[in-house]
Amino acid sequence: MFYRFSRLMSLVACMGLLCVLFGFGYGTTPAMAQEKVIKIGTIFPLTGPVATAGQRCQAAVQTAVEIINNKHPEIKTPLADQEGILDGYKFVLVHADSQGKPDVGKAEAERLFNQEGVWAIIGSYNSAVSKPASLVAERMKRIFMCGASSSAALTQRDMNFFFRLAPTDETESVEFVEVLKWLNAKKDANIKTVGVIYENSEFGKHAAGEAKKASEAAGLKIVCDIPFSPGATNLNSEVQTLKNANPDAVLAALLGADYSLWIRTMKQMAWAPKIAISYCSGYQDPVIAKQLGPDADFFMGSTAYSPQFASLMPAVADVEKIFKEKTGGVPFDGDSIQEAVAMLVLAQAIQKAGGLDPEKVAETLHNNTWDSPLSLGGKVAFAKGGQNVKAHSVVTQLQGGEYKRIFPEDMADTQIVFPIKPWNQR
Amino acid sequence: METFIQVLIDGMLSGMVYALVAAGLCLIWGVMDVINFAHGEYLMVAMYVSYWLGFLANVDPVVSTVAAGAFIFMIGALTYKLIIRFTIGKPGLVALLATFGLAIFLKNLCMNQFSPNFRIMSDTWLSGKTLHVGGLIIALPQLTAAVLALIVVGLLYLLVNSTKFGWAIQATAMDREAAELVGINTERIYILVFGIGGACVGVAGGIMPSYLAVHPEVGSMFGLIAFICVAMGGFGSIPGAFISGLLVGVVEALAGFYIAPVFKYVAVFGLYLAVIFLRPKGIFGW
Repeated sequence: MFYRFSRLMSLVACMGLLCVLFGFGYGTTPAMAQEKVIKIGTIFPLTGPVATAGQRCQAAVQTAVEIINNKHPEIKTPLADQEGILDGYKFVLVHADSQGKPDVGKAEAERLFNQEGVWAIIGSYNSAVSKPASLVAERMKRIFMCGASSSAALTQRDMNFFFRLAPTDETESVEFVEVLKWLNAKKDANIKTVGVIYENSEFGKHAAGEAKKASEAAGLKIVCDIPFSPGATNLNSEVQTLKNANPDAVLAALLGADYSLWIRTMKQMAWAPKIAISYCSGYQDPVIAKQLGPDADFFMGSTAYSPQFASLMPAVADVEKIFKEKTGGVPFDGDSIQEAVAMLVLAQAIQKAGGLDPEKVAETLHNNTWDSPLSLGGKVAFAKGGQNVKAHSVVTQLQGGEYKRIFPEDMADTQIVFPIKPWNQR
Repeated sequence: METFIQVLIDGMLSGMVYALVAAGLCLIWGVMDVINFAHGEYLMVAMYVSYWLGFLANVDPVVSTVAAGAFIFMIGALTYKLIIRFTIGKPGLVALLATFGLAIFLKNLCMNQFSPNFRIMSDTWLSGKTLHVGGLIIALPQLTAAVLALIVVGLLYLLVNSTKFGWAIQATAMDREAAELVGINTERIYILVFGIGGACVGVAGGIMPSYLAVHPEVGSMFGLIAFICVAMGGFGSIPGAFISGLLVGVVEALAGFYIAPVFKYVAVFGLYLAVIFLRPKGIFGW
């Protein structure tokens, strides 16, 4: 009898221990109320081909949390002058690595909600990852804040708990074509043909689709359509195809190392179009721009932030000091800053909703316009489906290693260099 | 016609580098029957060696390729001493998983130490320089890498086929016990084979920063292509690996330009499947 009892007690003790070790019950307790902690999951590509961007996005969310959790009177963003939110709640981040893979991202979203018990997720940089990971959140009626993923399809799903800060490929494509029309009108550029080059992924395919749609609507002829496998050993065939078609303008969607390889291969083949405009991509990476040196100059792209925008966004400077401590001195770029905005807006919404009911917070996010000194437009507001209708970006051109604002004209700080200077004249 | 020749030249230049990467793998695979999954990561480490020598000591990749080769020789020899020798005589899967683990370790070590940032060498002797022959443009960094590949693979072939050491390697590959009976120190052969295999990929990685960004993921695709070249050329056949490397480069370039860029790897893997289906032992397999 005693033997049986002691076995039963051992079993209970073991189960208790397992519960403690594996956090049994977290899934049913989203916020650790006793400790006044709100767990937020982040999913970014911390390893893999776009890990650089992912790690910066993660650092941006950490920066925002540091500002919200602690008193920073010198920083001019909402919630910076107080400690935490909701009368003492503080945010704790739980990080996950998607490796840039949709299946891994989805599995990590499930793990974050079910095992880590996070209250909401911020991520995931790659549109291909944000898509399935946000579906997990939607199914569980939890909020998914998406900073930088740009595929227009993400906010065309009419989801209730998905919110995206960045402009979409659709709006950027329209803006790029506006630039081409403006050049034709003002500079007699005679741009008639367009080529698109893009990585064969959710992001690249959607960007290219929107680029072609916008170009054709403006009467421009698509003369080459070049998808490629990301992480390729060379881009010779791709650039040779571009060179052969010789489009006046190239619209490009290339990430990370592929962007630098593309630029170098064009130089090697002694060819460049009259104008090349990139979606959020390797173009925005300040490290790549610096390392490519003069080769990076005169290429263009959409930019939501660069240190040269300081006069337009004065509040960024103090926030950027914290960010740079985490990135070894690398400043914000247009993608990472959106993730910081995502965290700050979420915190404001929780504060305004006055509690941690995800449905109420989602409703609050939808029904209000949020102050956002880290955004180019200064405001954030979400339409049905979760798109930030106040999202702005300007078209910049790299000149002397600096992102110069070119378009729209009322925001320009420099004249465009058109056409791109030949490689041997730099 | 000029475009065709240009595409062909680009393909051949890429192919020779693939051949050099594959030659090292071929040697290890052929002699020891060990599939080294860390081969692509050896290439990545060699690129970092070259990059840091350039960044810290202003050494050009053309020179530091020798140091990269020597460094990866040591890494290869160490891999054998610390990992592979414990897997000899065990099922092939053990060595395969061990090198797979090593690949993950090396990749994450570099990611941890150097961050995932892309590192580009812009001011090298060769970067951005081209040779114009008529209307054809030949990139000097790739041409140099190809010439280097040709020299190293040629030397490797001579070493294996025309020296006593090479005959000892061949004897060890055929029958280890019989080789030991005739006085060959097979343990030493294994260490040197792993080292030389590493040195080949080290030389390739050493020159590559002249035209390719360095980052922790850079070796993955090269490693995969090297496996294809070795399997297609015939296990253990250095001429086979060389011809396959060239073939892969040319097919990749032609398919990429004449069918569609997105099909270039489809064509390469399709060719691989066709060869393996028609001749399972590879082109030069026996």
